[in-house]
Amino acid sequence: MMTWHDVAPEGDFEPDVPKVVQVGDDRIAVFRLDDGFYAISDICTHEYALLSDGFCEEGKIECPLHQACFDIRSGKALDEPAEIDLHTYPTRVEGGVVQFQL
Amino acid sequence: MRTVIIGAGQAGRRTAELLRGLDAEREILLLGEEAEPPYDRPPLSKEILLGEEHPRGLMQRDIHAYETQRIALLLGERVEGIDVGTARVAKADGERIAFDSLVIATGARARGLPIAGANDPRVLTLRSMADARALSARLRPGLRLAVGGAGLIGLEVAAAAIQLGCAVTVLEMGDRAMARCVPETISSRIETWHRAAGVVLKFGCRLTAIEPRREALRLYTSGGEIEADLLLVAIGAVPNDELAREAGIAVEDGILTDASGRTSHPQVFAAGEVARIRRPSGRHVRFETWQVAQHQPVAVAHALCGTERPYAELPWHWTDQFGHNVQILGAHSSGLDWLLRAEGERLSCLGLDADGRVQGAVLIDNGREATPLRRIIAAGKPLGRQRLLDPSVPLRQLC
Ligand SMILES: Cc1cc2nc3c(=O)[nH]c(=O)nc-3n(C[C@H](O)[C@H](O)[C@H](O)COP(=O)(O)OP(=O)(O)OC[C@H]3O[C@@H](n4cnc5c(N)ncnc54)[C@H](O)[C@@H]3O)c2cc1C
Ligand code: FES
Repeated sequence: MMTWHDVAPEGDFEPDVPKVVQVGDDRIAVFRLDDGFYAISDICTHEYALLSDGFCEEGKIECPLHQACFDIRSGKALDEPAEIDLHTYPTRVEGGVVQFQL
Repeated sequence: MRTVIIGAGQAGRRTAELLRGLDAEREILLLGEEAEPPYDRPPLSKEILLGEEHPRGLMQRDIHAYETQRIALLLGERVEGIDVGTARVAKADGERIAFDSLVIATGARARGLPIAGANDPRVLTLRSMADARALSARLRPGLRLAVGGAGLIGLEVAAAAIQLGCAVTVLEMGDRAMARCVPETISSRIETWHRAAGVVLKFGCRLTAIEPRREALRLYTSGGEIEADLLLVAIGAVPNDELAREAGIAVEDGILTDASGRTSHPQVFAAGEVARIRRPSGRHVRFETWQVAQHQPVAVAHALCGTERPYAELPWHWTDQFGHNVQILGAHSSGLDWLLRAEGERLSCLGLDADGRVQGAVLIDNGREATPLRRIIAAGKPLGRQRLLDPSVPLRQLC
């Protein structure tokens, strides 16, 4: 069963600074970009690193370890050393609160 | 048209794959001495020693991935000679292979210890997967491991071994850890991690002889004698540039190349750690980093296709020890003034020149600052110390 999970009130988000939610074994990072909210898996697909610790700019997140880059909107791995795309999750704003579905 | 690549390591794989991406037609032959398909080496002194068999960081594809890309991968094949006159390479079995262009991506090998007793089987080095497996198989609780050299690889092995319950002593000629690549304040932090975990660090300590005894190795050093069950020698790497030298290609502790990987011979290129690359400053520099093996092949693949994509990245490498990630940006120089900028546990150490320009940086558990710092260094603008060191001013605002 897919459920919607609360992240934080819309107004609490700063651009390029993700908020992270843990659901069971999954860590989800939620970003505010120019055109809305996006949720991706927070774990780099190269080795192991938290992408929320990385550098975020122009809709891309760079892994803090070996600088693999991912597109936050699509989850696409943009270059080596990451070759596997990130999971993305639907988001919505309900009553002023940002949520994602998992 | 056929391109032959000698050396199926990281730079060889990258060159082959990038070249295939640029040119669907040409024949690509990747020849490697090791039995393993290409892999990245950083996990060898980290995850592999801690018992992980196939860490993802190896980036090791199975051989079918090469078939799919139409890259002819020949493993267990050592190239013995290059004849630039007839444009052929000679394999160990005598077969000769013709090329239209040649890439030498032979990497480096571990430097041996030129002292008596160093050929004992209990004296090891670490360069390949086979070395890592052999070392890993011998690390067990209670083993007395001596490590010669407090550089990146020596310290990573020491960290892994102490976590596995070995008794570890590091013998270093110099006076501090990783002296070649980090400033003193960073060395002392790294030394603190090791000592806290129980590693014995001996500085100013030169190994002079090894006496192999039946029960143990007796190590003679300038700081006294110690006994060890195993000695890992980690005192640097030597470029595998002999093939090039013997072929009459210009070599100087590495194969001399321009920023696009061209050697002194127009048909021959060099990729990765074996290359000594011409920098924008005009000097030639050889890098022993994952970065150069990953990104310099972009320049080589383009040059092979007749386009220019010169390699001029700021040098960058990292080490992982005791759960900490240390990243080193720019070349280390003692001429810089090293200042600390702390944000809680995350740390940036910035190397400023006399004009107040950031020239290098070391980051501890702070990889997110690497890109802002790269830009700050590239911009080459003097920045006020106060703003640079104020953790409430994000570095990204300064670039
Ligand atoms: C244990 C270890 C840990 C490391 N950790 C880090 C790290 O944490 N961070 C970092 O930035 N860098 C690290 N490095 C450095 C980095 O891995 C190397 O710089 C990189 O592997 C260089 O890649 P390369 O392809 O140029 O050479 P290599 O990977 O050495 O590949 C060269 C290949 O050529 C083959 N070859 C040589 N001669 C011949 C011949 N005549 N015929 C056929 N084949 C031949 C060799 O067998 C080898 O497979 C580490 C290196 C080691 C050894
Ligand atoms: S772990 Fe993310 S790039 Fe290596």
